[in-house]
Amino acid sequence: MSLNYVVAMLLIALGLYCLLLKRNLIKMVIGLGVMTDGIHLFLISMGYREGGIAAIVPAGMLQDNVAAGFASAAVDPIPQALVLTSIVINICIVALALSMAIWIYRHYGTLDPSEIRRLRE
Amino acid sequence: MIEIPPIMAIILPLFGAFLTPIVAFVSWRFGVRRQVCGWFAVAIIVATFAIVASMIPAVLGEKILVYEFGRSPPLGINLVVDGLSLFMALMIAGIGSLVAIYSITHMQHHTRLDLYYTLLLLIITGMMGVVVTGDIFNLYVFLEITCISAYVLVAFERRWESIEAGIKYMIIGSLGTSFILLGITLTYGTAGSLNIADLMGKFAAVTSGAEPVPLVMVLIPALFVAGFCVKAAIVPFHAWLADAHPAAPSPISALLSGVVVSIGMYGILRVVYMMLGALTIGPILAVLGLVSVLVGVLMAFGQHDFKRMLAYHTISQQGYVLLGVGMGTAIGIQGALFHMLNISIIQALNFMCAGAVLYRAKTRNFDELGGLRKSMPVTAILFLVGAFSISGTPLFNAYASKSAIYAASASQPLYLAIAILADVLTMIFFLRAFRLVFLGTRPRHLLSVKEAPMRMLFPMCILAVLCIVLGVLPRLGFNIVGTAQEAVTNPSNYVGRVLGGV
Repeated sequence: MSLNYVVAMLLIALGLYCLLLKRNLIKMVIGLGVMTDGIHLFLISMGYREGGIAAIVPAGMLQDNVAAGFASAAVDPIPQALVLTSIVINICIVALALSMAIWIYRHYGTLDPSEIRRLRE
Repeated sequence: MIEIPPIMAIILPLFGAFLTPIVAFVSWRFGVRRQVCGWFAVAIIVATFAIVASMIPAVLGEKILVYEFGRSPPLGINLVVDGLSLFMALMIAGIGSLVAIYSITHMQHHTRLDLYYTLLLLIITGMMGVVVTGDIFNLYVFLEITCISAYVLVAFERRWESIEAGIKYMIIGSLGTSFILLGITLTYGTAGSLNIADLMGKFAAVTSGAEPVPLVMVLIPALFVAGFCVKAAIVPFHAWLADAHPAAPSPISALLSGVVVSIGMYGILRVVYMMLGALTIGPILAVLGLVSVLVGVLMAFGQHDFKRMLAYHTISQQGYVLLGVGMGTAIGIQGALFHMLNISIIQALNFMCAGAVLYRAKTRNFDELGGLRKSMPVTAILFLVGAFSISGTPLFNAYASKSAIYAASASQPLYLAIAILADVLTMIFFLRAFRLVFLGTRPRHLLSVKEAPMRMLFPMCILAVLCIVLGVLPRLGFNIVGTAQEAVTNPSNYVGRVLGGV
């Protein structure tokens, strides 16, 4: 279980390294994706429960009055909802970043951020 | 009066955003004028403003409006309108409608106008959502809506400059929002809730007992402060602003410098101060603010680009707000909120003036401008009002708010000295800009320049009048922010109202 957190932290650190130090826009975008995935793994691990069941209540369960037992057996559904939302947002960002990288390449002929600095002059 | 639920302030611009392309298509089909979708966007934002304004009496009567979805607060998602939210929402919708009116003429020669107005409405939707939501994850989602729309709008003109600024803004901005997401993750792991009111109580319980503060309680505020400082362009995270704000179309520059940066400041107030109760972080924020004040002003030195110079002053004025916020006293927060209102008015006005010059003279380089007072007398006067306001001259609005921030930091003579020095430098730089653009001899290529069109002058005049009214009657301004400050310094009402139901 703690392996999840270690891997999540490694992914976040790796993504951050990639985003800040790589000299290629595409690799920076990949780094952004990896970092966000690390956060997602971290979030989803928090709701995980060993041998838990899916947090969906079948119709019969409510009548049998086992709701209390259900709450202690099911995994936490909130992180799953959050991660799902966050994945969608992340797709938007990555898609937008890649399309901007295409435009950058058309204008500058390079993807090296140290050469894309005409604004600094 | 009929009670309009706060959700309408989000739904209306959201639906308006996606109706805009349809409206544009229909008007194109029937051969109506091209500006139809622009006026449609103006109507939507003005209607949003009316909805927000209709909540004023209820909130002023010491009430906090709570709108629940499904289950009651700790479980379900809810929208909360307290003094702070209402203040921010009014600012967003007010500046937003003026920007939309200004856009109609300024953007008329651009193509893809339906896309432009869709994004403008989406950015308003996102900001409205951030300020009225009572759920921390919802806040993140709306923040992302705001930011993604802002990235696209910065790159909207697709020149090399705007693309470069857009991708830079996007990389730094996404890093900031990732920090906020990680902060929310840790928050959920620590307290097991996402409701802001619920979290206030839980965090108070976590911090009060433990003597060395637990590591996670240091990490969470640090992540949130870093994330929101990126959005508010506070100094270590400011690099994107000076590129992004000048590269955007001028109405968008006005909106970004006016209200979008204030969203970051709202995040610091709402999440770090109210939710985490991390008031001890104040001195660090004050130092960051002070560094921003100084760095912003110094970087404006010797700029040749009109809008870039204004953008550096946005950084510096955000620093003043953070200085007041960092002081944490009632007068400091009141001054900070009032200054937030003032700079959104002033910077919107200044960027609109720069936009008017750009629209008529087709350049924003100081070296190619000059002598425009003869061609554009009204714009010249309006820019002068903006220049006097931003540098805190008496009888203009920022004087009162800066005085309040100075009064709050009076115990630290060094802070006071630096802030006043920066003020003097601001005055000098703005007068230099005024001299370079409007005084001197008019170069030959500017002889045919005319005054800005009426529809661009109208929102600028409203902003300038607001500058002077708030300057002559500072008490009015302090009354406006009083409820908001009350909400920040006294969050127990918020908790009681949201969780207690009533």
